Amino acid sequence: MTDLKKIFHVKGNDFTHAGEASVNIKNMLKSIGLDPKLIRRIGVCGYEGEMNMVMHGGDGTLSIEINTDKIILYLDDNGPGIEDLELAMKEGYSTAKDEYREMGFGAGMGLPNMKKNADEFTISSKVGRGTQVKMVFSLNH
Amino acid sequence: MKNDNKISPYLIFDPDICTGCAACVKACPTKAIRIKNDKSIRTVDYCITCGECVRICPHSALSSDIFDMNQIGNGQISVAIVSPVLYSQFPEMLPEEILTGLKKIGFDHTIDLSRYTELFQYATDEYIKRNKISNELPTPLISPICPVIIRLIMVRFPNLLDQVIPLKRPVELIELEIKQQLSDRFGVKKDLINLCNITPCPSQKVSTHMMKLSNIDSSVGINKIYRKLSQELEKMEENDTTSLHESYESARGPMWGMSGGEIAGLRTENTFAVSGLNETITYLEKIELGLFQDIDYIEFRCCPEGCIGGPLTVTDKYLAKNTVHKLVERFGIGRRLSQEKALRIYEKGFFFSETKPSELTRIFGIHKDPLSIELLKKMEKLLDIIQGKDCSVCGAPDCRTFAEDVVRGKASIDDCIILKYRDADTDEQIKALSLKS
Ligand SMILES: Nc1ncnc2c1ncn2[C@@H]1O[C@H](COP(=O)(O)OP(=O)(O)O)[C@@H](O)[C@H]1O
Ligand code: SF4
Ligand SMILES: [Mg+2]
Repeated sequence: MTDLKKIFHVKGNDFTHAGEASVNIKNMLKSIGLDPKLIRRIGVCGYEGEMNMVMHGGDGTLSIEINTDKIILYLDDNGPGIEDLELAMKEGYSTAKDEYREMGFGAGMGLPNMKKNADEFTISSKVGRGTQVKMVFSLNH
Repeated sequence: MKNDNKISPYLIFDPDICTGCAACVKACPTKAIRIKNDKSIRTVDYCITCGECVRICPHSALSSDIFDMNQIGNGQISVAIVSPVLYSQFPEMLPEEILTGLKKIGFDHTIDLSRYTELFQYATDEYIKRNKISNELPTPLISPICPVIIRLIMVRFPNLLDQVIPLKRPVELIELEIKQQLSDRFGVKKDLINLCNITPCPSQKVSTHMMKLSNIDSSVGINKIYRKLSQELEKMEENDTTSLHESYESARGPMWGMSGGEIAGLRTENTFAVSGLNETITYLEKIELGLFQDIDYIEFRCCPEGCIGGPLTVTDKYLAKNTVHKLVERFGIGRRLSQEKALRIYEKGFFFSETKPSELTRIFGIHKDPLSIELLKKMEKLLDIIQGKDCSVCGAPDCRTFAEDVVRGKASIDDCIILKYRDADTDEQIKALSLKS
């Protein structure tokens, strides 16, 4: 059963508000007293995903589902999509524009880090249609 | 001021002047203030003594309870413990001259805190180095220096207390032996010696375990001695004391008072400095989110530009900054103390604070019960219903805080102007939440 689901809208190219959805999610998790280490894992995943939407994906949503046994993050955008998923998942691979690199983004570690930090990670993408990511964090360790 | 109320160890509130505008409610970084019955403020959480509400109140209904220069010259030996920020307040004068000036206004002896800030920096470097091997504390490590920041972390980011390095602050490093040495030197009993902290920082007064001013007897704001001191310094300038100029060796001390001055003196390279309360909160949010784990150490100061922007300073903080830059240009920031000696006392445990930062919330009884998922769900529903604009008519700083107060049974839904005049439909939805009131 889903106990609580909340959807946050993320705007492409909006660096002023980038990261706010992740901070809000983090604060929800903090208010229910989740373990700080787990909060950091979820926080990093949410943040990387949110930044990918801001940088590459265009407009989309970052949602959180809180269940008694697990927490799930969903990323959903209708941006350009990813041509070669296997390549995109490689550490260091990035198509980020130079201007983003100058802002300290685009190290190509976002997707690999998300995969590393989540207990379950699934990504699907269609060129011209958009990208969806699901990340599950188990609460019974 | 007959109606004065003390609403925290630091805050004095005058309800006769208050108009109930709620500016303070919104300004408080820990959301500790609520307005009840139009204009009676009460603090519901912990005041971290940041002074934001005092600064923002347009009617001066709030003031801070700061100390006075009370103990100088009453038959004791008075010793000034000098914050290096003092040196930034007099653009024309050198540190040595300022110390001489302090003696002229009645202090028998002066101790430059810079010596202890330098020791602290050695210890910090060593701590960071060892933590890299032991991985005992999660990174980034956080500076323990600014008391307001530590209190902010205690109240709003308790998860991060683990990352504050457990070292004593420079004022705490001043040891009991110093009184012994001074008593030998002046030939008086130890308890006749009065150590007085000359400081830009009002938050030093309210002691919290880790931050108690252990061996210091009293404190005085720089603003309280400024006039007297500058009169003396003017006289000295006329008499010309150039001989002193040569004896000054390093501007590392003055540097300390400026944002970035603490980390500039570290050997650890992977660091950065943040100043100002809002910026600090933004970065603490990010650290809690899991960012910056590859950074070794972060310096935080709640005052803009660092302690040179402290509430008890006199000189404009940007002018003060320029003065520091000039001193650095002229004297460099070389070290005066030996690392070897610092490491020897490090080994003996000299630098470690008696209380671990991670224990602070327990000691001070700061604990907020986590919400159940059920209550969080009700809170989110309530927020969906309100669709508010953080108007603060309810007396809370924003809708989210109000909704949390409601589900925790600390506020009534009718306090909210939107919910008060609800239609039948909304009423149904609220009934479905079965909130206790
Ligand atoms: N939501 C997305 N929409 C389109 N492309 C994406 C999206 N997320 C990731 N990518 C592509 O995958 C690459 C790798 O992503 P990531 O590992 O996060 O590294 P970085 O964001 O630093 O480039 C990106 O450079 C981009 O080409
Ligand atoms: S920045 Fe310095 S002066 Fe300001 S509160 Fe912190 S320690 Fe005190
Ligand atoms: Mg990325």
